[in-house]
Amino acid sequence: MTDVLRLSAEQSYAAELAALSAADDGPRPVGWKLTPKAVLTYLMGGAAPGGTAITPKYVGQRRLIETAVATLATDRALLLMGVPGTAKSWVSEHLAAAIAGDSTLLIQCTAGTDETQIRYGWNYAELLAHGPSEAALVATPLMRAMREGALCRLEEFTRLGSDVQDTLITVLSEKVLPIPELATALPARRGFNVIATANSRDKGVNELSSALKRRFNVVVLPLPATLEEEVSIVRRRVRELADDLALPVPRGVDEQIKAVLTVFRELRSGVTADNKVTLKTPSGTLSTAEAIGTLVGGLSQAAWFADGQLGARELAAPMVGAIVKDPVQDKAVLAEYLETVLKRRRGYAQYYAELGEAL
Amino acid sequence: MVLIEGPADATHLIAQLAAPGMRPPIALLAYPKGDPANAAFWPFAEFSPEYQAALWALRHDAAAEFIDLPAAAGRGDDAAEDGDARRGERLRRDPLGELAAAAGYLDAESWWCDLLEQNPSPGPVFGAVAEAMAELRRLEPTEPWEAKREAHMRLKIAQAAKGAAGPVAVVCGAWHVPALTGPTRATEDRRLLVGLPRAKIQATWAPWSLARLASGTGYGAGVDAPGWNQHIWRTWGRADSNSRWLARIGALLRTRGHGVSTADLIEAERLALALAALRGRPRSGFEELRDAAVACLFGGEDLVWRSIEAELLLGRDVGAAPEDGPAAPLIADVQRAQRATRLKPEALERSLTLDLRSDAGRERSLLLHRLCALGVPWGQPQSVGGSRGTFRENWKLRWDPEFSVVLVERVIYGSELVGAADAYLEEAMRGAQDLATLAHLVSRSVTASLPEAWAVGLRLLEGRAALTSDVGQLLGSVAPIAEIARYGQARQADMTPLAALAERLAVQAALGLRHAARGLDDSAAAALVDRLRSAQAGLELLDPAEETWGVWFEALAGVLAGGEAFAAGAAGQLLYTADRLTPEAAVGLLARRLSPGTPAAVAARFVEGFFSTQAARLIYDAPLREAVDRWIRGLEDADFLAYLPLLRRVFADLDAMERKRLRQAALGEVVKSLPGVVTLPDAVWAAHFDVLAPILARGRHV
Repeated sequence: MTDVLRLSAEQSYAAELAALSAADDGPRPVGWKLTPKAVLTYLMGGAAPGGTAITPKYVGQRRLIETAVATLATDRALLLMGVPGTAKSWVSEHLAAAIAGDSTLLIQCTAGTDETQIRYGWNYAELLAHGPSEAALVATPLMRAMREGALCRLEEFTRLGSDVQDTLITVLSEKVLPIPELATALPARRGFNVIATANSRDKGVNELSSALKRRFNVVVLPLPATLEEEVSIVRRRVRELADDLALPVPRGVDEQIKAVLTVFRELRSGVTADNKVTLKTPSGTLSTAEAIGTLVGGLSQAAWFADGQLGARELAAPMVGAIVKDPVQDKAVLAEYLETVLKRRRGYAQYYAELGEAL
Repeated sequence: MVLIEGPADATHLIAQLAAPGMRPPIALLAYPKGDPANAAFWPFAEFSPEYQAALWALRHDAAAEFIDLPAAAGRGDDAAEDGDARRGERLRRDPLGELAAAAGYLDAESWWCDLLEQNPSPGPVFGAVAEAMAELRRLEPTEPWEAKREAHMRLKIAQAAKGAAGPVAVVCGAWHVPALTGPTRATEDRRLLVGLPRAKIQATWAPWSLARLASGTGYGAGVDAPGWNQHIWRTWGRADSNSRWLARIGALLRTRGHGVSTADLIEAERLALALAALRGRPRSGFEELRDAAVACLFGGEDLVWRSIEAELLLGRDVGAAPEDGPAAPLIADVQRAQRATRLKPEALERSLTLDLRSDAGRERSLLLHRLCALGVPWGQPQSVGGSRGTFRENWKLRWDPEFSVVLVERVIYGSELVGAADAYLEEAMRGAQDLATLAHLVSRSVTASLPEAWAVGLRLLEGRAALTSDVGQLLGSVAPIAEIARYGQARQADMTPLAALAERLAVQAALGLRHAARGLDDSAAAALVDRLRSAQAGLELLDPAEETWGVWFEALAGVLAGGEAFAAGAAGQLLYTADRLTPEAAVGLLARRLSPGTPAAVAARFVEGFFSTQAARLIYDAPLREAVDRWIRGLEDADFLAYLPLLRRVFADLDAMERKRLRQAALGEVVKSLPGVVTLPDAVWAAHFDVLAPILARGRHV
């Protein structure tokens, strides 16, 4: 175990990437570390030609990931959309790790991000001392990606102000970064491309200009379609995270995962799993990522305060935290759900009691 | 010689496939003589191998024959067509899927497509497929019905081989290949076929639609996306096949208001190519083009794809059978009428507006109405009520090939449209259970101009009216009959007896109204009020004699005095709008009904009945408003909260402007009751104004 809190994808899955790369001798796009097929195997799971098992990074529709990989293999940029917690950043990180071998060229977009953080900035001491020069430029991750022929990731792209967003148009269509101060332009090396992620709940905040939109292929990542699919995602991620945090995973964790996800999915969709009772939905998204967070929170509680026993008692507090985002409205929603659904459901008596108490 | 899997006793129809008016998709329609309800279909699209084989034979002067069991033999236990589907269930594993997986494919469909349907040089593949089928067939016994079909085909093939001069080609499903190529066992086969039902059949080509070919719409051996298959067929061997498909998607999106540029289409095609490479397919197929279109053109939204899916994959195409073929007599007549009115049968919905003042418009309207009367709802009349009584009719047209079958069945009612519709409607009228239904059927006979049904209907209506004492039914039949009487003239028929009938029905209803309005629960009261309103509207159309009005309003007054609160409120409103209740009386009535002595629940129902659909009146009618205002102010807090939803419902119809004005009025701000009137010096104008003012004032009420 390293003392780095979180390893990047290419570090944590170095063995898998190496195994895939070793037997991967097909033709590949210039600048790619793996063939598109191997990238697909890396994301969707399977086995490397040598026999090494590859864990699935994305559980869901294969064709979405195929579209994403194929997009990057052409020179079009990729925009991953979806509600919060649908593995947009996760997929983007792993795509960058598999294709370019580097997932760290990342720009976190916010309302305060300006052009200098997208294109390039200046080292003012150098600038004042020697005037504008290559040496006085401060390269952004985007610029470095262009220089190295790597992938640049733009997180939460729609949070960026529209004027700043549009600085990307030249980069995406001409594949060149003009530096008027030095009267030059930086041409992108082959292999350069951009993966942006955007939250579809933020739609309309800074809607992409159509000029920019035209330069992206859009892949919308949906919420997991079935309980089983979601359970398998959560189970895998919870185990990985628990390993990272050195938390023991108790035996009965699968039932708890199923229980938590049942509650989350019912509240999220506004109808019970048997399609018989309609429910009010809370204001939060209750995404898969939040379910993972809830369970890891529960595990931590269990490991440090409950002798490793994971049950409704340990999970109730983080569940309420995830569900109740609006202190008045969501509380009422959850209370109603407890009384109308959980109270009478077999096997959920403990959850009913603990959640009611935590509320 | 070409032998084709199809009913042997329909062989004589093959020749018509090359006839000039024949356009696929078409279906071979066969039924035992005189029993069209037992019809069976063999649909063929432009891309069906059977159709193309027959066409080839006809063009090259080769003999062509159907070799499957005759249609007269029936369909086994309805199993012939969905045999493929059932077979799929029976085999424990999905064998084609296994083969596809062995070839590195994820689904069997695209594997089959690449290997056979879109393979430019299939060559030895066919032999391999036959071998694979033989292996698969060894896994399960052949079904008895299928054994009979194959026996029949074997016999036919042997017969052809003996008689034909040149080579013999057989066109059949891959599944049958091993059974047909095996050694002939003529005696055994003949024994299998003993005792098959024999009957005289009538067979003909009927138009079919691409949409009906899709497996999702019920036809068992269908394809997933007939629109795509047709595209593949039409662009066979062309390098720009995919570009054309994407261009069609682009064009469809543009008609739905999405901006799609040529550059987007280029990007989509590039992405499809990359996807095909990634999936290891020889060229981009349907799935790649769809995924690429979703990513490049639809902004990743599957929903947009779904919105164009039906039109793209199913298409609007409806086939046509040749005009000189043995079409069922009724179909032929309908086709004649369709040609005469220039209305094309199309499978996808479209709207049509008709102007009844023109001959062409009237002809079209008659055709549609008559088909409706015959139970062939090709056109659905839209916005009933709103457009009735005008010279305009709005229709939604959608031709379902199934209609052809319905038309074949309706032959028992007559061989021509008018006669058949008349007889069919007459039968429906005789079977109608209640008066309102009957009235609607009669109204249909008028709009469709079916004189015999109309005469019968009128007689039935009078007889039934004399026997009906149910007030609801009587009330419900007033409006449709009154509408016919009032607007029927546009269709050139004599309506006087109807007006009298409607009046009589109204009077009859009025007599029982007082009792009918008592002791009702909420939903029954609401139903009664709806009928009261419609009946009053019907009477207004008729403009009957004063005595009739007298009886009617007396009955309403009775409801007002003793009926359930909601009905009473509605009756009060009807009286007030008809000026049978003076404003002072209305205010007095409201004050009385809303006084503290009345339980709040009853008062609230009364208010709802009185003002629902007429809330705007409160803006102008100060005394009424004050009466309601007084009542609302006098409510206890708890009661007020309890009736708030109900009050909201009453005022829900008001738009923002009306609400604002009502608020101003209620708070005592100045509201002009009429826009400023300037008196002009000329005396003529003053006289005009005197005439106009009451009309305007009344207009505010109505």
